[in-house]
Amino acid sequence: MDLAFGLLIGIGMGALIQRVRASSPGMIARNLRLENLSIIKFMALAIAVGAVASYVLAGFVPMHFSIKPTYVLGVLAGGLVFGLGFGLAGYCPGTCVVGAAEGRKDALFTLAGGLGGALAFTLAFPALERSLITPFNYGKITLADLIHLPPLGIAVGLALILAAFAFLAPTQLRRPS
Amino acid sequence: MPSASTSEAEPRFGRLGVGFGLLGAASIALFGPIGVSTTYPRAVGAMLERLFPSFAASQPYLVQIGGLVRPETAIVLGLVIGGLLASRLSGERAPGVELVHAHERSRALRYLTAFIGGFLLLFGARLAGGCTSGHVISGIMQLSVSGLIFGAGVFATGIPTAKLLQKGR
Repeated sequence: MDLAFGLLIGIGMGALIQRVRASSPGMIARNLRLENLSIIKFMALAIAVGAVASYVLAGFVPMHFSIKPTYVLGVLAGGLVFGLGFGLAGYCPGTCVVGAAEGRKDALFTLAGGLGGALAFTLAFPALERSLITPFNYGKITLADLIHLPPLGIAVGLALILAAFAFLAPTQLRRPS
Repeated sequence: MPSASTSEAEPRFGRLGVGFGLLGAASIALFGPIGVSTTYPRAVGAMLERLFPSFAASQPYLVQIGGLVRPETAIVLGLVIGGLLASRLSGERAPGVELVHAHERSRALRYLTAFIGGFLLLFGARLAGGCTSGHVISGIMQLSVSGLIFGAGVFATGIPTAKLLQKGR
């Protein structure tokens, strides 16, 4: 059953990524160059709506939250390396799958590079675990653990900030060259 | 170069972003947060298991993440179907290749850049324990601190990389 739910969620995600043009590496590059903020705003709204919806739902049904551990060194280093790859490829691990599906050949190269990166990480894992993953691991912490307020309240506050950004900031900052 | 198209001038992020957020919350209600990047090493593991079973069994990371039969793998299959359907139904066909950076003067250079980018994406995502979907979107919607740190890291290098590679254009 969970496999069927996963498939349906994935189909919805793939369609939305394609429609918002997040599967275009040129569009991602324009967002990272801060010429056009449409994808960044799309992400901000998704986080805003998702945060409020999941913590409202949590009041009614059991939720499958799964907070990722905050091992500061590895999470930050991983983000910095990921950002380099994001800037170079113009894809992320999900959008290159959507890009490949809509016929982009460069997306297939990002997919292949991704399998290579996953293999390299697998081989390096024992050393990285010792140096970057085990030290400074604060466990599964959320903003509610830091700011002692009810999670739903924090979710609403975060959502208001992100929604204000999405609706008030300009989307097109510079004409594409 | 052609001028900005209508869709570029009036991007439609609003309803699409709301839809994506609802999907993320629905996923947490049904089975767990959305995530894409663990499927890559699981796919690598599945290939190695066929070719070099004892080597695959000796890799602690592959043992830790487990096999491919799980909802996250179904999400990745869904991405293929959803992307294909949306592109066919909308009639907006994607170009076969889009040149993105100033140095990409040929398709081969674009392919090379896309490959190196993909390598770094997955190495970074696995080191951090998630990617744009798992850490940034579903992580921050769960208010996780690691998602915020990862997101800050991504933009700290992603923005200067994209800006530097534009030079001279």
